[in-house]
Amino acid sequence: MRYRAVNRSLTKAAALAGMLAAGAVLAKGAEVLIEPPAAGSVSVEEGRAAFDRMYDVVTHPRCANCHVGAENVPMWYGGAEGPAQPHGMNINAGESRIGAETLPCATCHRVNETLDNDPHAPPQAGLEWRLAPVEFEWFGKSPAEICAQLSDPDRNGGRDALGLAEHLVEDAGHRGFVLWGWQPGGGREPAPYSLQQHVNDVLAWGAAGQPCPDGTTGQDASQ
Amino acid sequence: MQATFTVNGTERQIDVPEDMPLLWVLRDELKLTGTKYGCGIAQCGACTVHLDGLAVRACQVAARELDGAEITTIEGLGTPAAPHPVQAAWIEHEVAQCGYCQSGQIMQAASFLDLNPAPTDEEIDAAMSGNLCRCGTYSRIRAAVHTAATKMGS
Repeated sequence: MRYRAVNRSLTKAAALAGMLAAGAVLAKGAEVLIEPPAAGSVSVEEGRAAFDRMYDVVTHPRCANCHVGAENVPMWYGGAEGPAQPHGMNINAGESRIGAETLPCATCHRVNETLDNDPHAPPQAGLEWRLAPVEFEWFGKSPAEICAQLSDPDRNGGRDALGLAEHLVEDAGHRGFVLWGWQPGGGREPAPYSLQQHVNDVLAWGAAGQPCPDGTTGQDASQ
Repeated sequence: MQATFTVNGTERQIDVPEDMPLLWVLRDELKLTGTKYGCGIAQCGACTVHLDGLAVRACQVAARELDGAEITTIEGLGTPAAPHPVQAAWIEHEVAQCGYCQSGQIMQAASFLDLNPAPTDEEIDAAMSGNLCRCGTYSRIRAAVHTAATKMGS
């Protein structure tokens, strides 16, 4: 089952390669490529190492601060920037996750493809600012919890590993939150590694069978 | 860059750098100084105006967003003879002390009441907490928002 899923992904990847050409073209000629590893080329150990790096990324404040739970309160700071704390100004994004109930995110976080953000000013990206869906909660979650979530189609938007990589590249192509995570501006600490490394790690993790720290695999979780 | 947009019902044209904040378009280019500069980084709410009906911090809206937009500032919300219900409630409760933040407070409250015509205390606090008042008029702001909601609903 695991190998079938991986092979399906790789077949899909081969078809996708023609469609995506070189992947998403970002600013100044930079590109993010989707290049799935060959079948059987990634060991479980290498897959776990790739997930460890993925965990470093998704729990970094640039990513996790808007992947919060059902209390709908975005976070500020965290990591090297000091203790995480709830978003100032008593902000609650509500069940809408865009603040529609009280104070919309768009009041301050405007759409701005330049990613030219000032220090201490509200970050802006090429997509309308929002919290991630509540089922994508990462803030404060353990490696095993996040691995299970990323492996669960009911909690990851119905995506396999290739689908997750496509999602990252598509978002970056819109100059959205994913790209912003590595280009946050204003002196903010970017997410670790690079977007290309993160995409590569997601694909390697998928090719290895989506191994999780608790010994399960993504294919186990989705069965 | 050039942009044509509406401010308080009047079509205006500008030719400014595309990253000029709306706040400076209003104050320096169009001489509408009712919208106040407080911090320039959306931390205070003093520059709040309406963009296509939504309260926004004018210091965070770039000129590149303006072509075709409809902007309402405090000068266009009501008139002395026919104030907007929020402005009328502000007068009734004598909300303002120094008054510097009040145009932003009023614009935020008016937009919020369009979204939520009958808010609770907690909802008012959630919507208005991004608008700072160094004079501490928050209790009167909350009371005035309730009064304005009643006026708008009657």
